[in-house]
Amino acid sequence: MLRTGRVRVRGSIAPRDVEKMSSKENLGRTRILGLGHYVPPRVVTNRDLTRLMDTTEEWIEQRTGIRERHFVDRSLGPADLGLLAARDALAAADTDAGELDLILLGTLSPDIDFPASACLLQRGLGTRGMPAFDVRNQCSGFLYGLAIADKFVRSGAARRVLLVGSEVHSSGIDLTTRGREVAVIFGDGAGAAVLGPEQRPGRGILSTHLHAEGKYAKKLWVEPPSSVAAPRIDEDMVSGEGGRLFPKMEGRYVFRHAVTRFPEVIREALAANGLGVADIDLFIPHQANLRISQMVAASLELPEEKMFNNIDRYGNTTAGSVPIALHEALEAKRVTPGALVCLAAFGSGFTWASALIRW
Amino acid sequence: MAATVILGLGHALPPRLVTSEELAGTLDVGSGTLEARTGIARRYYAGVGVGPSDLALEASAMALDRAGLSAADVDFLIFATMTPDMAFPGSGCLLQDKLGVPPIGALDIRAQCLGFIFGLLIADRFLQTDTYDRVLVAAGEVHSTSLDFSAGGADVTPYFGDGAAVAVLSTANDGRGLVAGVMHSDATEFERFWCEYPASRQHPVRMTLDDLRKRRHYPQIDFDALNPMAERLFPEVITEVLERGGCRKDEIAHFFLHYVDPRIALGTGREMGIPHQRVTATASRAGHIAAAALPIALSEAWGAGSVRRGDLVCLAAVGAGINWGAAIIRL
Repeated sequence: MLRTGRVRVRGSIAPRDVEKMSSKENLGRTRILGLGHYVPPRVVTNRDLTRLMDTTEEWIEQRTGIRERHFVDRSLGPADLGLLAARDALAAADTDAGELDLILLGTLSPDIDFPASACLLQRGLGTRGMPAFDVRNQCSGFLYGLAIADKFVRSGAARRVLLVGSEVHSSGIDLTTRGREVAVIFGDGAGAAVLGPEQRPGRGILSTHLHAEGKYAKKLWVEPPSSVAAPRIDEDMVSGEGGRLFPKMEGRYVFRHAVTRFPEVIREALAANGLGVADIDLFIPHQANLRISQMVAASLELPEEKMFNNIDRYGNTTAGSVPIALHEALEAKRVTPGALVCLAAFGSGFTWASALIRW
Repeated sequence: MAATVILGLGHALPPRLVTSEELAGTLDVGSGTLEARTGIARRYYAGVGVGPSDLALEASAMALDRAGLSAADVDFLIFATMTPDMAFPGSGCLLQDKLGVPPIGALDIRAQCLGFIFGLLIADRFLQTDTYDRVLVAAGEVHSTSLDFSAGGADVTPYFGDGAAVAVLSTANDGRGLVAGVMHSDATEFERFWCEYPASRQHPVRMTLDDLRKRRHYPQIDFDALNPMAERLFPEVITEVLERGGCRKDEIAHFFLHYVDPRIALGTGREMGIPHQRVTATASRAGHIAAAALPIALSEAWGAGSVRRGDLVCLAAVGAGINWGAAIIRL
C-alpha cells in the first residue's frame, strides 16, 4: 500500500510561494550540482557488427565516427541504467533521493508501455511523493528536460531536480543487414544531472531554447505501437518481415537539417545572452554523428578543440548522449569553473534545442 | 505578479458513440451489467487513422477561438498522452505541424492520467519565468486501438474512451488564474495499473509473439488494490491544494475529479461533504480518457455555462504511476 501520509509531502508546486519573492529580478539561476553516467559493460565493436550484418568497420567509422558502442547483455531498461547514473549524480551533488522535488527522465525507449520510466526510476531510488514523469523528445530529450528543470528551480518551485537521459536501443534495432543503416548508429547508456539553485552571481544555466518541426516526423521514427493503427499492435508487427518495431531513418535528410539547425539554435542562445561564438569555451553537441558535429563546428568557425566528442566509444545514445558527454568532459577537466558551456541537440521530431551554462 | 490564466479551452470527442449495451455484445457479457459494473454508460471511439494529435487539433481550434487567438499566437506547446500517434517522435511534434505554426518548442510528456495537471503546472513555470507568452497545453488519447475486445478484456476495456482537450494559457493581472497546484508520484506499486509491452527492458527483443499471445500489451488494472488508494489520495490531495491556495472547500464552485472508475470519484465528494451538484466525476461522461478527461469536462462545463468566468474550480486526479495531483483555478 501507499503510505504517503507518513512521508513528508514533496513535489508540491505552489505559485503563491513563488509570489512571495519580491520580483522577477530575484529569480535565481539554476546550477548543475552533480553529474553521473552509466553504460552497460558489454562493448560491441564495429567488427562485432560485421559478423551480424553485411557492413565493414571502415564504412561505419567513416560515415559516423563510431568505433564501438555498449549494449545491455540482459533484461535492463532505461530506468535501470538511469538509476546507476542517478546514484552517482546524487552523490556528487551531496543529495539524498528523498530530497528531490521532481524526477524527470528523457527517453525514446521506455522500459514498459506505461507508466513512465521516470516512475520506475523513482521506485529504484527507493523514494516517493515527488512527481516523476517522462520527457519524450527523442535526441533533444535531455535539453527539453533541462529547460523544465531550470524553470522549476529558478522560479523557486523546486530546490532539487533529478534529470536523467537514458536509452536501451539494443532491444529495438534490427541487427541484420536489413537494419544496418540505423542499427550501427545506436548505443545504450544513461546520464544524470541533479539541479538546484545557483548561488554564485553570473553563473548557472543562462538560457534554454527549444524547437520542433513535425513536418519531418517520418524522417527518423518508429511507427508501432501507434494508436492510429487498429489494432495498435498485431502479430505482423512483432514477428513479420516488415520489421515495423524498428526505427526508420532517411539519413541524408536528417544530416542536412541537423547541420542547419544546430548552428541556428546555438546562435539563438548566444544572441539571447549578448555573447558570440568566440565566447564558447566548450561545445558539447548531442552525439548523433561525428560528421554532423564537425560540420557544425566548421559552420560556426568554432575550433574543433573546443568541441567534446565521445561518439567513437558510445555511438548515439539519443537522450543519454548530452549528459554522458557533459559528465565525461567534467571528469576530463575540459569544463572548468567560469567556463561557458554550450549544449545543443538535434534529432527525431525533428526537435532541436540548445542551452548555455556559465559553469 | 501576473497569474497564469486560461485564455481558452476546447475539446474534441470523436463521433462514434459506443454504448455499454453495444460493448456488452462485443465483449460477450450480459447486457445491462457493464454500466452497473463500471458506472460508465458511453464512450467515444476514434475512427481508423485518427490519432491524439488529430483530436487535439480539433480541440485547439475551439480553444483558440474561445481565446480570440490564432495558432500563430502560441509560442510553446506541451502535449500529454499515453497513447501517442507513433512510438516516436511525440504527438506534440505532429500537432506543431498540423497547427501550421513555425518551429516552436513542442514538449511531449508522459504522466498518464495526470497528463493535463502536470502539463498545466509545467506551462505555469514557463510562463511565470517569462520564458514564453502563450503556451498551448494539449491532452489527447486514443485508447480504443489498444484494448482487448475479447471476453478477457471485459474487466478493463469498458472504462476507456477517446478524446482530447486543449487549454491556451498566458499571464494576466485581472484576478483570474492558477491559484495552486500540486503533483505527486509513488511508483511503489506501479503494476497495479500498467501495460507492460512493448518493453525496451526485455532482452534481447522488446516484444515477442508469446508476449502478444499472452495479451500483455493490453492495460491491466487491479481495482481491488487501486480503489482504496484513490479513496485515500483524493481527500488528501484536495485538502493539500486547498491549503496551498488558502481556499475553503465551500469557495470552490465546482470540483472535477478524475479516476478510471467514476463511482470512486463521486464517493470522494460524498466523503468530503461536497454537495453532489458541485462534483463532476469526469469518467462518467465519456469514460476514462487518461490525460484528457479533466480538461474535456472543464471545457464542456464552460461551453454549457455551468462554470463561468470568476468561478473557482478544483481539478484533481488519481491514476497510473501511481500519480496524483490537483489544481485550483479561478476561471
